[in-house]
Amino acid sequence: MSEKEENPKNKSRREFIQQVGIVGVGSVLAGSAILAGINYDKKKSTGARIKVLTAENELLEIDRNDATKVGKSKAENLTALQKEGREGIPGKRWVMVVDLSKCKNARKCMSACQGAHQLRPEQHHINVLKMQESKNTPPFYMAKPCQHCDNPPCVAVCPVDATFKRPDGIVLIDNERCIGCRFCIAACPYSARVFNWAEPLLAEEDKDKTYNVELNVPQRKGTVSKCLFSADRLREGKMPYCVSACPNGVYYFGDENEDAVTNGTTKETVRFSKLLEENAGYRLMPELGTKTRVYYLPAKNRTAPFQDKDKLEAEEHLDINNS
Amino acid sequence: MFKENIKLRLTATFLICFLFFLQLNAQRWDVPADKKSKNSYIKFDGNTAKEGEAIFTKNCKSCHGDLGKSNGIKTMNPAPPDLSQALTQELTDGELFYILNTGRNAMPSFKNTLSEEERWKAISFIRSFNNKYVQVLSKTDPTKSKLVKINCVFDSLSNKLKLNIIANEKTGVIPLKDAEVSLFVTRYFGKLQIEKTIRTNADGIAIFNFPKDLPGDKTGNVDVAIKVSDELYGEIESVNKFNIGIPTDKLGLTQNRAIWNILKKAPWWIIITYTSIVLTVGAFLLYIIFSLLKIRKLGEN
Repeated sequence: MSEKEENPKNKSRREFIQQVGIVGVGSVLAGSAILAGINYDKKKSTGARIKVLTAENELLEIDRNDATKVGKSKAENLTALQKEGREGIPGKRWVMVVDLSKCKNARKCMSACQGAHQLRPEQHHINVLKMQESKNTPPFYMAKPCQHCDNPPCVAVCPVDATFKRPDGIVLIDNERCIGCRFCIAACPYSARVFNWAEPLLAEEDKDKTYNVELNVPQRKGTVSKCLFSADRLREGKMPYCVSACPNGVYYFGDENEDAVTNGTTKETVRFSKLLEENAGYRLMPELGTKTRVYYLPAKNRTAPFQDKDKLEAEEHLDINNS
Repeated sequence: MFKENIKLRLTATFLICFLFFLQLNAQRWDVPADKKSKNSYIKFDGNTAKEGEAIFTKNCKSCHGDLGKSNGIKTMNPAPPDLSQALTQELTDGELFYILNTGRNAMPSFKNTLSEEERWKAISFIRSFNNKYVQVLSKTDPTKSKLVKINCVFDSLSNKLKLNIIANEKTGVIPLKDAEVSLFVTRYFGKLQIEKTIRTNADGIAIFNFPKDLPGDKTGNVDVAIKVSDELYGEIESVNKFNIGIPTDKLGLTQNRAIWNILKKAPWWIIITYTSIVLTVGAFLLYIIFSLLKIRKLGEN
């Protein structure tokens, strides 16, 4: 009896579970169907049609919502830029010639550079220095970017392969790798490198920007930055920011392999070897064996005397007892 | 006494005038006669002056200031003049064009930065401030430039490039006499001029000495641009590839082994020294472990 009594009980539980199961699955199905229907309606309601060109060169018109964006992710973009940045531009050996006889301290090169690389006013990838050897020699101005050495001491000391030399001669920094140890700043005999002590100027605006190793933008706090010979502009066939901005024709830029350099102001192209030969071109601190890629033409006809504030500064530095 | 004073004053005035004249003279431009008579092939009107104003604003205004307001930079020596004044307007169109082409002192040359058309338009704008100005158009017929053909022959023995410039007129083939010819080689950032601009002879022939040491691409190919400027036929430009350069295929600057290069390109002495040090220290450690094991075994026995 007891078994008989128990049986119907068991049966009813099984039935109950069966029924619950049917109702549950049914309601889930119905719910999802309704949800799908709503979603479908949502899609239809935008009604925006766009034209898409397929890889087979067919022009199709589809609903905007049916299209999925096939783009590279930020990480993929970064990797591509880093790879491109390490490879450089094949077959080139970039050189810069700075004609000191033409520099009048217009400082347009500096502002163009700081604008492009988002540097603070006290940070210089290129700096125009005031020069005076002794009290009796006429002063002159000298622009000094990174010298892009063919035997770079900064690259040799980098412990993490963040700064590197490219086959086309440019020395770059990958701020994604830089650990901020500043060995390179200590090693550079030309004081060409700057450190980002503070957050970069446009940190907020550039939060979502992919880092470009050929522009060093966005800059990163706690890493080193330096002149890049405007590697991003060279890729586009344009001359560096500083070279194009100079109003006095100080800079020549070009390819040593082509034996030609072009003036940034007049856009006149001349033979690189002839320019150095005829104007007694020289390099900075050749005794260090750094083999720089920036050449200087001597400051003859020193027609740009020091501006008043520079005169005071020069007096402080020149040895008065020696005069 | 009084007379002497007047004499002295007169001499002084004369001297000052003379010096002033000298100063003015020093600022005059020395324009060759054939450039002086050059005229624009573009008819100057309101439209060209308007386009010229944009070019002027971008390239000239920073020094010369607004025309008619004499607000150019005063501190420069010589000070850039207000171009709407008589000093400039007295010059011929050819002279203005020459000044734009060559530049002097602080004024740069605009030969490479502005096209010929843009340069004439800038002059058109300057002329729009002169009511008395009457334009003399050049004889150039722009439609005729298509008739011109440039034949190039390179003589590899003497390294000379011989250009024969002719016009295929209906009446027959006419050589372009006395036309200006410039030769350029295309480089990454601009055109490198080979020798100076010369004029064709009576047979329409111009000969250039091509440099023997000019680098070309991997196979020695060089893009040579020839620019012909003729009074009647206008400007003609053609670009040709010639195999006359030095084949240049230099390796990248990271090819050689160096201390700053990547690990694979490290100098041999570093690789050998480093590896031998690691191996020696490793072997020593192994020897110590081996000896310790030996001692333990001896103890167990």
